[in-house]
Amino acid sequence: MGENLVSFLEKTPDVSHWLVLSSLLFSIGLYGLLTRRNAVGILMSVELLLNSGALNFILFNRFISPGNIDGQVMSIFVIAIAAAEVVVGMAIFVALFQQRKTVDVTQMNMMKG
Amino acid sequence: MFTLILPELIVILTAFLILGVDLFVSEKNRVVLAPLTLVGLGAATAAIFFQMPEAGALFGGRFAVDSVTWWFKFLFILSTGITIALSLDMLDGRKVLENAQTPRLRFRGEYYTILLFTLSGMMFLVSARDLITLYVSLELATIPLFVLASWKRDGNAGEAGLKYVIMGALASALLLYGFSLLYGLTGQTDLHAISQGLTPSPLLWLAVALIVSGIGFKMTIVPFHFWAAEVYQGAPTPITAYLSVASKGAGLALMFQLFFRVFGGFFKDWQIAIAVFAALTMTLGNLGAIVQNNIKRFMAFSAISQAGYMIMGFLGPQKESIASMIFYMWVYVITNLAVFGVIIFHSNQTGKEEITDYRGLAQTNPLMALGMMLGLFGLAGIPPLSGFVGKFFLFSIASATGFHWLVAVAAVNSTISLYYYLRIVRQMYIEPPAAGAKALEVSPVLGFTVTTTVLASVALGVFPFFYNIVNAQTSGWMSLFVK
Repeated sequence: MGENLVSFLEKTPDVSHWLVLSSLLFSIGLYGLLTRRNAVGILMSVELLLNSGALNFILFNRFISPGNIDGQVMSIFVIAIAAAEVVVGMAIFVALFQQRKTVDVTQMNMMKG
Repeated sequence: MFTLILPELIVILTAFLILGVDLFVSEKNRVVLAPLTLVGLGAATAAIFFQMPEAGALFGGRFAVDSVTWWFKFLFILSTGITIALSLDMLDGRKVLENAQTPRLRFRGEYYTILLFTLSGMMFLVSARDLITLYVSLELATIPLFVLASWKRDGNAGEAGLKYVIMGALASALLLYGFSLLYGLTGQTDLHAISQGLTPSPLLWLAVALIVSGIGFKMTIVPFHFWAAEVYQGAPTPITAYLSVASKGAGLALMFQLFFRVFGGFFKDWQIAIAVFAALTMTLGNLGAIVQNNIKRFMAFSAISQAGYMIMGFLGPQKESIASMIFYMWVYVITNLAVFGVIIFHSNQTGKEEITDYRGLAQTNPLMALGMMLGLFGLAGIPPLSGFVGKFFLFSIASATGFHWLVAVAAVNSTISLYYYLRIVRQMYIEPPAAGAKALEVSPVLGFTVTTTVLASVALGVFPFFYNIVNAQTSGWMSLFVK
């Protein structure tokens, strides 16, 4: 296991290294989204998730179909969409903060079934 | 060729027009915005009928129009129009009772604009033929809904918006990761090219799993339905209606795009998974609905169980499956909007949202109670109402494909659903009205909307011509993708 890891790290970077990076990003984002209590922290985790997807598009573009630029175009759109998502999210959180004086997600239990 | 994209262009231009007009008129004259929006929607509908026999592609095949897209787009426009009609009283402040509890919704111009933006996103979603277009239009359809869901400035709306944003962003991120894996497997972004290049591999199943969880959020399929009840409760009631119909329609359109167009070659592999999801969704949705006391939460769980019936149409490569699903979506949208019309009328007048607040409505407002009862019976699927016909088509597809156990589960679930829909009917017809309850005044626009939607919902079940038209136009669609 340890030797495999060392030889993996000593190789020149290819698609598998980048895939490991993007899945690490995705896992960190998912972990943050599930464990952060502050809603702003959750938005940051969402950014990580979206960026890991965008990174995937770029690296597949580079290694799978280097002839065209579809993946790169997609990653630019993903960045724009992530920005839109965060803007809307932050606006909602600010409005919520004015009402409740907190954006702690564990306090969000006013509505009950 | 230009006419192919005309409906979308009209919707987007109307959105910007409303935004501009809103800037230059005084608050008193903003009443004009709603008719303007409806004129725009009417023009877009006319453009769809104008293009109807024509099918084709634009922008190098990234945007295409065919028989399925017409009916979805028309459905989205219609549900947006009815939602606007339902919002009018809350937006323009035409309160009939002085002691009405519900606060007025503010910012009319922005409200209509954002509604039109999400509509345009849904319309592009049906026509997208490329991963990039598909993802961008999906987000265009989803992000404005976050804003609309938290439109009221109270703690509940903010809480609903927070939950919706977080769950929606997670779903979209999962979907994006799934898309990126599809791109990695094939090196293509064109949906047709992807479906040609896919071969079975563990990575493909990972991609499918991620994509299913993204779609499940949009369609409120169990176990991705957790956000629905809270968001439906906190959002303004017309937006709740919109979420339960148009957003779900967009989810169905997305499933059409991905399951038929991209994964159509693996039909036999995902069939059983769809059956399990359908059974889970209808059962848990129904069990959740039984214990609810708030009418909006109740409708959320009812909408979840309806999604379970709806995806039964994906089981069989029958000639009729496309038409059955589109027909059921139409029936569901119109019937659900009729029920929401009465809910909005009631909460506008009383400010109350509990099921027990509907007691004695049949004595105070017999016509509204009748409309509510017909709508609820339509949702439960009692013959001869349209819900029965729609369910019959879907059940027969599952049965023809050999999923007899699923048909049995669905039939049992229909009975359960009848029980909880009857809970409301019982409150309205059997319980006596509260002491001193007076007849609630019906505003003209709500009365008209409820009447037309109820009549349409009955007519869809009695007269077969609508189903026949859809079936004639879409019967060959599926064989293009599913072999």
